[in-house]
Amino acid sequence: MTGALSLAGGSAAAVPASAGPLSAAPVVAQVTAIEASLLAFVVLTALATAFARDVLAAVIVFGAYSLGMAALYTFYRAPDVALTEAAISAGVTTVLLLLTLAKTTRIDHEAAFESVNLPAAGAAGFLFAGLLLTMGDIPAIGSPDAPVWSNPDVTQWYLAETYAQTHVENTVMAVLAAFRGFDTFGEAVVVFAGGIAALLVLHREVFA
Amino acid sequence: MSVVDAALVAGYTVGDFLLLAAAGFTVLAIGMLYRAVKGPTMQDRVLAVNVLGTNTVVILAILSAALSEPTFLDIALVYALLNFLMAIAISKFTVERGGVL
Amino acid sequence: MSDAVDDTDMTDTATDDPVDATADASTDEGAGEELPPHRAAPRSGRLDSDARQGTPYTESQVIMPTVKVVAPFAFTFGLFITFHGSGSPGGGFQGGAIMAAVVFMIAFAFGIESTRDWLANTVVVALAVGGALAFAGIGLVPVALGGAFLQYDLLPIPILDPVKYGMEGVEVIGIAPIVAGVLMGLFFLLANGFATENGGFGNGSLDEDGSLDEDGSLDGESADAGGDR
Repeated sequence: MTGALSLAGGSAAAVPASAGPLSAAPVVAQVTAIEASLLAFVVLTALATAFARDVLAAVIVFGAYSLGMAALYTFYRAPDVALTEAAISAGVTTVLLLLTLAKTTRIDHEAAFESVNLPAAGAAGFLFAGLLLTMGDIPAIGSPDAPVWSNPDVTQWYLAETYAQTHVENTVMAVLAAFRGFDTFGEAVVVFAGGIAALLVLHREVFA
Repeated sequence: MSVVDAALVAGYTVGDFLLLAAAGFTVLAIGMLYRAVKGPTMQDRVLAVNVLGTNTVVILAILSAALSEPTFLDIALVYALLNFLMAIAISKFTVERGGVL
Repeated sequence: MSDAVDDTDMTDTATDDPVDATADASTDEGAGEELPPHRAAPRSGRLDSDARQGTPYTESQVIMPTVKVVAPFAFTFGLFITFHGSGSPGGGFQGGAIMAAVVFMIAFAFGIESTRDWLANTVVVALAVGGALAFAGIGLVPVALGGAFLQYDLLPIPILDPVKYGMEGVEVIGIAPIVAGVLMGLFFLLANGFATENGGFGNGSLDEDGSLDEDGSLDGESADAGGDR
């Protein structure tokens, strides 16, 4: 992805994301200041979304969550994902959730936050701790040795062959539309079927 | 070499300082998040999320400059557009809880 | 509707308004239930008149002109994201979502019902179905010519590069219309809400059917009970 976008942006050669000196601030466990603050923002918004008692407040904070996620994806040089997050999560999801809320009844709550169900929180924390144990084996973010980057048969092959075979610069789009075109066709049909399913669930015959 | 790669102080480049500025804006966003979560009224939350969106547009633009990727500005544009949509959607929803939609 | 109101607005402010204002100010004490002096006469067409204050907030004086200015640019930007997906971030999915978001914006500014009338069901369905058919068609043409599904280099495109323009075709007339159509459809669908007995299945010629009566009452129940189904 980095390679494709440096082609498109006309900037330097295709290098792994970690090659440049990105650490502006004191590095704590190889996390830069911008990463740390964005991750803190995302985690805080996610917690607030989960614990907000009022549904409208949860929807609004969820919009803020998508803002943080888009910035994080942008920082990790995944602009296609960031653009999708921006278009879908900020614009469409918020609007659709608000329309759904407008059709439902409001329950007034005194408390601003949900009370925590302790057994559920314990189970979730146990699962989370188990997942954390695997973190040691995951390569560092942007590491040139990461299998997803250094694999000569997959990632490097696509980056090298995309322009020669498909004549487009954006590797992501080439993979979506050409190399994995049949999967994308399946996704498009799934979106279409999602619209039909919404018609069936809401007992309607026409969209508009 | 572009301006972003020029060294300023102690080996840090302009891009590094731009990233630091983006981190500062993110810290400000965390501060604004308090209003979005706490906000006694819905209007507070609408304003907070609008400010957060504008803040994110700034962060994305700074990231685009710091990473020398001009195409990343597209994301900032999309966000500026959809932040407006989100603001009018939520603010119209707060009137009679969607009764005027 | 807004055009007519604007026309009366023009004439009224030109002729009636000073008279109305003075009349209101002088007769304010006499008529108890009259409007306060800062409000215009009910049918004057001014912004603070009853006729316009009574209309719902869909006629916001801030949102409507802003959306009028912003919507063309936003739609063009969605087209840019769609068409330029091969050289920059983006593609049919993102561009289609942005174009659908422009329709949401228009709907919030001018009212969902009038937007629903303006953007007929045929358009929404034609976008979604046409996109799916176009994608399948582009994929099946090489199959008809003896190749594999979506084998772009077999596409019979003269002069231009078939691989590049085949992919662009999939993105522009395949994915983007599907996403835009389905998202617009979901928007109008959710704005309508769950179909109760006076809408949806029981609404058409099937109304005479005896079995659908039971269905209608079931719908009412589940709508009352909340989203259990």
